[in-house]
Amino acid sequence: MSAGTVLKTSRRNFVAHKGRMALSAVAVLLSVAFVCGTLVFTDTMNTTFDKLFGVTSADVTVSAKGAKDAEDNPNRGRPEVLPASAVEQVAKAEGVKSAEGGVVSMSVTVVNAKNENMGSTTGAPTIAGNWSDNELKSMKITSGRPPRGPTEVMVDADTAKKHHLELGDELRTIAITGDVRARISGIAAFTVTNPGAAIVYFDTATAQEKLLGGPGLFTHVNVDAKDGVSDEQLKQNVAKAVGADTYKLQTAKESADANRKDVGSFLDVMKYVMLGFAGIAFLVGIFLIFNTFSMLVAQRTREIGLMRAIGADSGQVLKSVIVEAFLLGLVGSVLGVGAGVGLAVGLMQLMGQMGMHLSTDDLTVAWTTPVVGLVLGIVVTVVSAFIPARRAGKVSPMAALRDAGTPGDRKAGRIRASLGLVLTGIGGAGLFLAAAADKAAAGSLWLCLGVLFTLIGFIVIGPLLAGLVVRMLSGIVLRPFGSVGRLAERNALRNPRRTGATAAALMIGLALVACLSVVGSSMVASATEELDKTVGADYIVQSQTGQPIMPQAEQALRATGNLAHVTAYREVEAKITAPDGSVKDGGISVTDPTYAQDVRRKMIAGEHAAAYGDGAISVGSLYADEHHVKVGDELTVAFTGGRTTPLKVAAITSDEGNLDKGAMYVSTATAERFLPADRMPRPFMLLAKAAEGKADAAYGAVKDALAQYPQYAVQNRADYKQTLKDQVGQLLNMVYGLLGLAIIVAVLGVVNTLALSVVERTREIGLMRAIGLSRRQLRRMIRLESVVIALFGALLGLGLGMGWGATAQQLLALQGLKVLEIPWPTIIGVFAGSAFVGLFAALVPAFRAGRMNVLDAIASE
Amino acid sequence: MTTAMTETRHGGTGGHEAVAARARKVVKAYGAGETRVVALDEVDVDIRRGQFTAIMGPSGSGKSTLMHCLAGLDTVTSGQIHLDDVEITGLKDKKLTQLRRDRIGFIFQAFNLLPTLNALENITLPMDIAGRKPDAQWLNRVVETVGLAGRLKHRPTELSGGQQQRVAVARALAARPQIIFGDEPTGNLDSRAGAEVLGFLRRSVDELGQTIVMVTHDPVAASYADRVIFLADGRIVDEMYGPTADGVLDRMKDFDARGRTS
Repeated sequence: MSAGTVLKTSRRNFVAHKGRMALSAVAVLLSVAFVCGTLVFTDTMNTTFDKLFGVTSADVTVSAKGAKDAEDNPNRGRPEVLPASAVEQVAKAEGVKSAEGGVVSMSVTVVNAKNENMGSTTGAPTIAGNWSDNELKSMKITSGRPPRGPTEVMVDADTAKKHHLELGDELRTIAITGDVRARISGIAAFTVTNPGAAIVYFDTATAQEKLLGGPGLFTHVNVDAKDGVSDEQLKQNVAKAVGADTYKLQTAKESADANRKDVGSFLDVMKYVMLGFAGIAFLVGIFLIFNTFSMLVAQRTREIGLMRAIGADSGQVLKSVIVEAFLLGLVGSVLGVGAGVGLAVGLMQLMGQMGMHLSTDDLTVAWTTPVVGLVLGIVVTVVSAFIPARRAGKVSPMAALRDAGTPGDRKAGRIRASLGLVLTGIGGAGLFLAAAADKAAAGSLWLCLGVLFTLIGFIVIGPLLAGLVVRMLSGIVLRPFGSVGRLAERNALRNPRRTGATAAALMIGLALVACLSVVGSSMVASATEELDKTVGADYIVQSQTGQPIMPQAEQALRATGNLAHVTAYREVEAKITAPDGSVKDGGISVTDPTYAQDVRRKMIAGEHAAAYGDGAISVGSLYADEHHVKVGDELTVAFTGGRTTPLKVAAITSDEGNLDKGAMYVSTATAERFLPADRMPRPFMLLAKAAEGKADAAYGAVKDALAQYPQYAVQNRADYKQTLKDQVGQLLNMVYGLLGLAIIVAVLGVVNTLALSVVERTREIGLMRAIGLSRRQLRRMIRLESVVIALFGALLGLGLGMGWGATAQQLLALQGLKVLEIPWPTIIGVFAGSAFVGLFAALVPAFRAGRMNVLDAIASE
Repeated sequence: MTTAMTETRHGGTGGHEAVAARARKVVKAYGAGETRVVALDEVDVDIRRGQFTAIMGPSGSGKSTLMHCLAGLDTVTSGQIHLDDVEITGLKDKKLTQLRRDRIGFIFQAFNLLPTLNALENITLPMDIAGRKPDAQWLNRVVETVGLAGRLKHRPTELSGGQQQRVAVARALAARPQIIFGDEPTGNLDSRAGAEVLGFLRRSVDELGQTIVMVTHDPVAASYADRVIFLADGRIVDEMYGPTADGVLDRMKDFDARGRTS
């Protein structure tokens, strides 16, 4: 048989069985589509941001030394500034065509007349700035005119459209210096895609006065080069003119790169998370493909025997199956790459609905994307089909003469059992060691090993467990269905390897669901418990957008009646030198002494309140242990932007919990002595306690007082817990959504197995119909078989996942995840849900079985 | 199933209805126009209760089609078929399935048993499907009659071909059907095993009063019947009572010769 013949046979087989291949192809398609979709989507986002940053940056941007890449320091509620003289200095440099001072601040919140936040809900910033010529590079005014004077503001077109803003509408900009009320004088649209930032512009004087707190100040200077002067050259010239180390200088490329790095790291995280889930889908797909080829080879045993009998060698048979797999992988991947682009466009539209604008003009399909998709799809398919292909190669020519397939191999079963038990044992030991570990690093390693080995162990041992577990499940679930139930049970047990592999696909997804839900609810339970134990404050005021608490909001809260006290919580940057000489760069928690009532910290030494004495500080137990710090020792603290001073350690807090773990407390009064007022950060959180017996009245009053500052959430302890729960719940839902892909592929696997089983059992079905099994009973039999397989997979998966989750909790107990909470409603819900998954998967196979003609079925061979 | 009916069925041929199945002007045609093929051409036949009837004919004569139509496995193009007092032509699939389950027994040439069930489970399957409890006494008698007492827990793969067919016979008898249809029930067996199975069928007619219709092309098998119906080109061309193997063989040769000359 020549290579050409091998190819021809494979191709004919592939085409002849295209129906049976379809589901496997869909599995490949979905996984490849997810990978390619992710790549296209993140590439497109990158293109969008590149374009945006590319056009918005001046040739060279001059900004204050301390300015972060994000051009802002939200902690203080105002950005770092340059003096007005900087603009003139820069303008004098050689090769400068124009130098224009600019103001931009991200420490603002913009609300409309109804106190609704105009900012993005997708995490994009709200930006306020001065309208300048530099803006005209990337924007054009679509209606009205630029703002003039303190009562006019211009807004970007996307925000105006989203919130139905029109010329003349009033916007209130909440800035560090107070609220700025201004009417919309114009609307400007980006000429490139703006992914979602809300932007308002004032005239320069207003921007300086209101955003920076003084006339003549700028946050940056936009410098454009004369013709023939490169950005790099211009940067050097400017450096020469103003002094090399006075300001931060960035060429257009450097600004864009810095901006992109900010966005890029977020995009990378997203990309890897999504690719991780695509990987899981691939893993599940492997089972489906493996099963398909196993069944095809089993059905074709006689045919293969005939080929062997007439002279094909085993290598050729193997090759023909591999080529078939290659064709499957090719078709699935090609379609998958196409579907991936569609998926990316869909994702962009979805983001658009959520307020993040991405244009399909920017759709970026890098040449690597289809290559990655095709290679992944084909390699995974071929690898999955390899074991069945080898089995096909081993079919003896005698098989052509034998009636049925070869009988099951008992010895293989025993080898499989011992291998599975050993692997599961190793995995179990790993999990045990992880749970018992007292070092997080070692524990995580054991956890990874444990998870990996128990998973592989379960997959290997699955077919053997099938006998036991399916019988048990059938005893409970199928009993009410009498003989039809018994037939379903026998069918599920008939080929344990197939049942095992089908269920394993479902097991993987559900194990992850169970594990994460256990960790998630343990997180909520642990945090709630800690909150109940430690938090004494009645209300917590915090920003939802990362904005610090502006003075006007703090004043509003302090002016509220029925409050016993209000505590401001600030975080100050400092260098801390311990008596042993070690230096730590870190944050110091600067609070009012009332904080000791708001949060009851467990103390190792000293009183919490003592930390707020003049010139005192407290440290966490981890730090104290590491650097042998005792109460009474002195730490040298260099406040960033302020002075250096010794502070006496007055208390040591326990670092057992998660709340304020490792925090060093200093009173506001102490910090104010060593930090100039304009370097003092704004609080990021306010805590308040109601006066005795006034909790209800105060809650309403506090909410009312802050109603005009929608960027802050006012929460009592119940709200706070709920928010925590919601946040974890949202995160879990997202993860479940992504795992949904793996579960869909697993469901395809169940459909596939059932469909092929129905074909295999055509004659049996015919016989049963002839002797009186009704269509309904037949369909029910197939559905029940499917349900049992699904429940089997769910049971293994949930059990395995709960084991993983419990181990992870034990390990994370070191990090304060003290409470193990098994979310039984979720677990039971998923278990019951998988029965529905089974029913759903059986729909089509059962329908097709029911439609079989009795006579054809009996006569089929 | 009421006791009254059971008695009617097994009370011998003296009942008010001596015909178990009746076909009138049954036509079965495939295709239309020029490609129309007629498998059964206005067939009239009465199957007598408590008799062992064999249907014979050369391949393509329509004998299997006739049996399939009589048994409610296949639909007819025109004509009527009554099973006992029920007209089965025109019944919906659901009713037809119920009828097969409750009133008809089947023995096929091969693949009679579900591989996942043991012998006993296979025997009681039609009743299990119907949700009826088998009559223990009757079941014992059937099992003894076919000589399977020691093999009830065996799976089909652990039984010989002859034993498998005996299980199929037992299954057909166990539900006390009004009529049993056999489609070449001994076609896959060697002559000894075949004789054994045919012997059981004969005895179930003689001793249990069962009605059996069997399609076969084997004159020896046909000789076990009370009556042989000969089919050729979709028509009944002859019949023979109290047949012998030689007699049937002669008649068959006769048809062959006539077929060739016509």
